[in-house]
Amino acid sequence: MRILLVEDDDLIGSGVEAGLHHAGFAVDWAQDGHQAKLALETTDYALVVLDLGLPRVSGTDLLKWLRGCGKDVPVLVLTAKGTVADKVGGLDAGADDYLGKPFDLTELIARCRALLRRSQGRSVEILRYRALAVDPAAQTVLRDDVHVPLTAREWAVLLQLLTHQGIPQSRARLEESLYGWHEEVESNAIEVHISNLRKKLGADLIKTVRGIGYVVERA
Amino acid sequence: MPNSIRGRLALLVLASITLVWTIALGWSYLLATREVAEWDSARLVQLAQFIVLLDQNDLSILSKARIDARTEYSRHPTRATAADGDETPREALFQVLDANGRLLASSAHLASLGASESLAGATPGARIVTFGGRPWQIYVLQDNASGRTVRVLESTNSRSDLTTGVARRIAKPIALALPVLALLVWISIGHSLAPLKALSRAIRTRDASKLESIEIGPTPVEVRPLVDAINQLLSRLRLSITRERAFTADAAHELKTPLAAIKVQAQVALVTQDSAQQQLAMQRVVQGVDRSAHLAEQLLLLARLDEHHTIPAQPVALVALAQDAIAANEPGAQRKGVSVALVGEAHSEVIAEPVLMDILLDNLIDNAIKYGNAGGRVEVAIRRNAHAVMLTVGDNGPGVAPEDMQRLTDRFFRVTGTGANGSGLGLSIVARIAEYFGARLDFGTGISGQGLAVHVSFPLPAVASEHRRISDAQRLV
Repeated sequence: MRILLVEDDDLIGSGVEAGLHHAGFAVDWAQDGHQAKLALETTDYALVVLDLGLPRVSGTDLLKWLRGCGKDVPVLVLTAKGTVADKVGGLDAGADDYLGKPFDLTELIARCRALLRRSQGRSVEILRYRALAVDPAAQTVLRDDVHVPLTAREWAVLLQLLTHQGIPQSRARLEESLYGWHEEVESNAIEVHISNLRKKLGADLIKTVRGIGYVVERA
Repeated sequence: MPNSIRGRLALLVLASITLVWTIALGWSYLLATREVAEWDSARLVQLAQFIVLLDQNDLSILSKARIDARTEYSRHPTRATAADGDETPREALFQVLDANGRLLASSAHLASLGASESLAGATPGARIVTFGGRPWQIYVLQDNASGRTVRVLESTNSRSDLTTGVARRIAKPIALALPVLALLVWISIGHSLAPLKALSRAIRTRDASKLESIEIGPTPVEVRPLVDAINQLLSRLRLSITRERAFTADAAHELKTPLAAIKVQAQVALVTQDSAQQQLAMQRVVQGVDRSAHLAEQLLLLARLDEHHTIPAQPVALVALAQDAIAANEPGAQRKGVSVALVGEAHSEVIAEPVLMDILLDNLIDNAIKYGNAGGRVEVAIRRNAHAVMLTVGDNGPGVAPEDMQRLTDRFFRVTGTGANGSGLGLSIVARIAEYFGARLDFGTGISGQGLAVHVSFPLPAVASEHRRISDAQRLV
């Protein structure tokens, strides 16, 4: 899951980036509205975490532009102004959720997961697929009620495929969901992760779509 | 004097009226007394003229009879009156002498009084003579035709109530009218002061948070200026409270940002297992705390600056302070690889306060380093001309867009996209301090046509130049 974080403050930005990364998300951190626009134009994000008080292009303007382009990526807005008018303004401009500063990092992550769940059309946190029970919050996978240990990358690949059932995911798309801007992309890594997942969760879980990528069939 | 306009006015009005009335009454009394005395004399003259015409026979009858000379006859004869009053019988006495001074007739009572001596030398005319222990009014008439001398006497009426009675009759309604008048004066003054009462009620019942203008309907011209002055004060208060509120809201908002950063970084440190990342997060927590501490410090400084209208100033050696401020900012400059230079006149003094000047210099130099380029230059220049000492702090950084120049001294204004973590208060503080010492604050272009330069021009008053000449002389010695 790749998230775009738009925040101009160094200390808050680096903290949220580290927190989201720790929760298993790939994070791109844009420090102003222009950077954020560029990133949104070139990359598909699962979620945007947006600070409203941005230099150059304000958060509200960015949000209006985003919705104006017809992009329906879920947006969680962060702001230091906690007034009702401010919240209403943010939500009316197209935000899906709202957090006032100072916020709790765990709450931010929980709200991100909830937004992602809603955008994927789920109402419960735990994803069930055949014999698998996947808990994105706890980052655990049970196969026939037995815990299967996964690395963070394997986990991210599995989640990307499970949340896009029936839609083949290219290698590039999978890589995108794995690595933020500052992380080195390892060659062949995706193939390695896929083969490890097949070993751990069953060979028939992930199908190879020749010339395109990988897919988890609809349940 | 009562401490109320109503009481004071009522007292003054009533006292004035009483005074005027008393004077008028006293004057009338005096005139009436004189009139009555003249009237009494006239009566004696008439009596003498009547007696001079009588023959011996009539005179002897008259001397045995009593002449009642009272001036008033009571309508209530039963009423007891004073023995010596206008309503009691008062005997008029007479003496008639022929041309040779032989006594022709005399009131029977007169002989018993032994007044012959006192009367012997009486010349024609009216006068007062004392005998028998009482003052007597006497009139002597010399009749040229018969050669007779007629003397008529009457005891003076020491307790005549003729005038006092008149006076009492005039004074009584006035005395009765006084309380009524007092009541009317009291009521009408109270009525005239009603707008003041309405004004004080309007102010008393006013909510402390409501600062709209006071409207109490039609007000007399004497009260209007007061209402206007209060309304002007209210509008000034309204403005200053609005500004305070905006500042408080801004300050709270500004404090939330470093707090959010501290919380996020602390939570990252709590959840991460990677010890290097934990270390980094904790360092950032410390940075966040430093930032909020700095912000709080600047806020407090501004609040303290706002408390004072004027600050006692003294001659301050600007160059020495600039050297200290540059030294204090050296660590920050080194971290960014910025070189800070001082150029200027060694003997420039300004009239200011050293601690505040230190804060001003520190803010300017810190800003120049913070918002200038890494590896750039900062120049602190002190120049003097005939009118002013000008302090300039310039850098060769990215500078400030012309549209942002106006807003540089606004509280919490920060030029966006600089990447520096300022409180947005530094130049507000500089502007406030400059204002204290009558200095002018201008912005211009920095070193060699780029960056920002902040100019602070301190005026050179006559006193300042005088003082400088003395200290220059001392240095030469």
